[in-house]
Amino acid sequence: MAMKYLDKYPKDTAKGLWVVKPMWTVMKLFAKVIPRRSMTIMYPYEKEWIPDNYRGRPGLQFDKCVGCGLCARMCPTACICLVETTDDEGKKVKRPQVNLGRCMMCGYCAEYCPVDAMTVTPEIELAEYTREDLIYGPRRLRFEGVNEMMEVHIEEHLISNVQKGILDQPTSAFEVDRPVLEEAKCIGCQKCFKVCPVGAIEMYEAGVNEKGKPKKIPRIDTDKCICCKNCVDDCPKSCLHIKEVL
Amino acid sequence: MSYSSILEWITFHNPMDNPFYPFGDLYNLPYDWAYKIWEFLGGLVAWLINLLFPGNVVSTWLISDQVVNVFALLLFMLIIFLVVFVGTLLSLWEERKVLGRMMDRRGTQVGLKGFLQCVADGLKTFMKENVVPKKVDKMTYMWTVSLVIGTSVLIACMIPLSDRWFVVSYDTGLLIIMALFALAPFFILVSGWAQNNKYSLIGGMRAAELMISYEIPMLILIGTVILMAGSFNISDIVHAQYDTVWYFIPQVIGMITFFWCSIAESERVPFDLAEAEAELVEGWQTEYAGMKWGLIMLADYFRGYVACAMGVILYFGGWMLPGIGDLNNAMPEIVFLLKTWLMFFMMIWVRATLARVRTDQILNIGWKIFTPLAVINLLIVVLLKFGGVF
Amino acid sequence: MMPEPEIKLDSMNTDRMTVIMGPQHPFSHGLWTLKVEVDGEIVTDAEPIIGYLHRGWEKECENRTYPKIIPMADRLCYSASMTWSHIYCMTVEKALDVDIPDKAKYLRIVADEICRIQSHLMWLAAVGTDLGNLTVFLWAMREREFFLDLNVRLCGARMTTNYPRIGGVRNDTTEYFDRDCMRCVERFEKRLWDIIALVDDSSVFVSRMQGISRLTREQVANLGVTGPAMRGCGVDFDIRRDDPYDGYDEMDFEVPVLKEGDTYARYMVRIEEMFQSCEIIRQAMKKIQDMPRSAPYRLKVPSAVPEGTHFARLEDPRGESLMYLISDGTDKPYRLKVRSPIFVNVSAAKPMVQGCRIADVPAVMAMVDMCLGETDR
Repeated sequence: MAMKYLDKYPKDTAKGLWVVKPMWTVMKLFAKVIPRRSMTIMYPYEKEWIPDNYRGRPGLQFDKCVGCGLCARMCPTACICLVETTDDEGKKVKRPQVNLGRCMMCGYCAEYCPVDAMTVTPEIELAEYTREDLIYGPRRLRFEGVNEMMEVHIEEHLISNVQKGILDQPTSAFEVDRPVLEEAKCIGCQKCFKVCPVGAIEMYEAGVNEKGKPKKIPRIDTDKCICCKNCVDDCPKSCLHIKEVL
Repeated sequence: MSYSSILEWITFHNPMDNPFYPFGDLYNLPYDWAYKIWEFLGGLVAWLINLLFPGNVVSTWLISDQVVNVFALLLFMLIIFLVVFVGTLLSLWEERKVLGRMMDRRGTQVGLKGFLQCVADGLKTFMKENVVPKKVDKMTYMWTVSLVIGTSVLIACMIPLSDRWFVVSYDTGLLIIMALFALAPFFILVSGWAQNNKYSLIGGMRAAELMISYEIPMLILIGTVILMAGSFNISDIVHAQYDTVWYFIPQVIGMITFFWCSIAESERVPFDLAEAEAELVEGWQTEYAGMKWGLIMLADYFRGYVACAMGVILYFGGWMLPGIGDLNNAMPEIVFLLKTWLMFFMMIWVRATLARVRTDQILNIGWKIFTPLAVINLLIVVLLKFGGVF
Repeated sequence: MMPEPEIKLDSMNTDRMTVIMGPQHPFSHGLWTLKVEVDGEIVTDAEPIIGYLHRGWEKECENRTYPKIIPMADRLCYSASMTWSHIYCMTVEKALDVDIPDKAKYLRIVADEICRIQSHLMWLAAVGTDLGNLTVFLWAMREREFFLDLNVRLCGARMTTNYPRIGGVRNDTTEYFDRDCMRCVERFEKRLWDIIALVDDSSVFVSRMQGISRLTREQVANLGVTGPAMRGCGVDFDIRRDDPYDGYDEMDFEVPVLKEGDTYARYMVRIEEMFQSCEIIRQAMKKIQDMPRSAPYRLKVPSAVPEGTHFARLEDPRGESLMYLISDGTDKPYRLKVRSPIFVNVSAAKPMVQGCRIADVPAVMAMVDMCLGETDR
């Protein structure tokens, strides 16, 4: 390896008014620019090509979304909140609403969406007249032509797998991490059952509590679970926690 | 009194027959136009008044020799100024587009390939509030800027475009233009003091510093050209070049030196120390806002135009082209303006290429490079003169 | 004979004048003030005043979970966003004791060097305007655009990359990225010579930079100046080579060091660094191309960081940046301290500009490459 620039410079040009070469360089470019036109584009009329993985505003595929709220939880600027809305069949569901006035376009909502309903979109022209117009409801977040590049996937490898030499099993927290229950602490309040967005929790009767009444405790269906941590967060007795597979 | 035909009132005379013709025995094209325009307009007005009040004195007064001359002079001033103004705006537009191309961008895009940007800028500065900072010395603050703009416009109008397109044509025309041209740094210096702003003060000081470093070589160079042509009269200098060769051939050193000096004279990059925006916000213009600033900007371009025009007159044969004989009488003004814009292109080129020099460096360049070069050029010309070449 | 009257300089009113440059001033790239005391045109004293852009970044981090800090670290500096999120991820990885996969290392190197080149081009553009020439500005910005486009291809954003993750990087290279990257680097190496011809072959530029603001090795060491400013003063130290992180030990590159210690030396060091970065990108891309497409680039890491204090440092485009993390076993940091290179470099403003002229102040300060986002945090 050698220096590419320092081998040739500095030249002893500081003496005298030696300005011919830079002038020649500028004239060369001037002559080139006349036929080929400038590098700049006339923005509103001409637009640059934007690749599919561009992180513009967030988009939402309404039907795919399960309303787990992981996007709202992962958002660094807290610009996403879940709102009640009706789906196509008239059922009340929870879907994210994005305040683009606060959005920093980090793409975390798309990245951490367990069902790939949130996407990034190449849409960047978002100016509106009022701040209220910047709040995008669940239906307005729809984006035509979502492709795989926009649904950002997490392809993580387990450290244990890498150490064992298994390098072809990409996974993510949504596939391997599952909540586990400390049965002794559970009071059978059924909160986790109510908040689970995918119905992965069912309550079954397991003995009686101190007062002798029958107690229901949750059982987690690990196939259905998407590791959204709603049950963990809502448990009043902190008896659920995520078991991380590493 | 009976009805008199309009044709009796509107008559086109040769302005040179007017006993009050101000240009002696020289034909002046814009004055001719102005004279004709006033004979038409004044005649029309006189005829109308005569229709209403037959036999009044105002009508005859309006088309008398003295009055026609006065109004023709007013219109003449307007024509001269408008041509210079549009020429300067065109050089401004040229700078915007060429500089854009040299920087790999497109330059301005507003209307007529960007020419209307000047109009847009003018309207914008015109509509701005006229802000005068609180603690400035109001009289000098306003007067200096007016004088800078005034002298710039004056000399820009005084540059003759051809043998028939001039304001004054007397033997010290060149000297008058140079004297007025060199006046602006004084006003800038005073204005720097008046503004009660440290940036302006430093900018004003730099203007003075700049002046003492380029004014002397520039005057030596002009003296050299005068020596070679044997006259202070601009027209004589141009004709002397037509008779021999363009002076940039014998005086190539002088031409290059004059070019750099004239860049400094018009305070453009790389010698825009007085308004160095990187360190002195806008230098001596810092406290001028709105239309005042707009006019200063315009004055800058007037001075750039004057500097280029002087270069063309002194070294590139003015409005004459060699080898085309009588065709030179066809449109000498256009030839002159084209040459000026070509010269301005060189200035834009320099601006696109170079950085701003430092204060101590311009003193060094002025005294150690430009002045010796000017003297060498003078020696060459003296030798040529003594050798009988010219 | 009358004795000759003694000339009393004190009775002449030749006060020194304080010129305040900033916070809104064309030379200060960002909101900061340089209080300059001048004697005529000569600068006798200078005092940088910063803090206009203080956002409480370090405190903000204390109530965010670890992954959420990465996009915030991008915002520390607009043109060196990649290195800042990189240093943050490195610190947390050190705390977690995770060794990231090779592919992630090379991807980070590529992204880092793209960031370094575009940051240096941004600086070159600023040098152009500070010295009074707009052509350098636009030419450098034009070249920078290609590297921003590379950023878009790689991670979807032009400047705030948000690319590294704790345990790897966000995504693998996209299709054709390697081809685009190679082409862009090759093209850049040719086009940079145009800008060099405009600056280095022009005696106006060179005489504006040469011989002003000389610092000695000892001064640099005492002031804690790092980065290209330090290497321009003859200190042969580059963290990429002397304390390699994330696979830089496998890269073959030179560290430009110059002894002059003036502004021009700092300029030259940066220009050479751009060429060396091109070389590093080429080597790293070669290694990525040799790897299978399915090679791991991101590890699954625990969300909570064990108790302890850790720091990591890397070679930012502007100097040595460092993050110091105190974790208390939860998923949020207890304290995250940033060592910003500019914060230290700009404190050397006084020895740098002393003895220069006012016109040199922008030229000298341009070589610090101010970025207020990280300085004030």
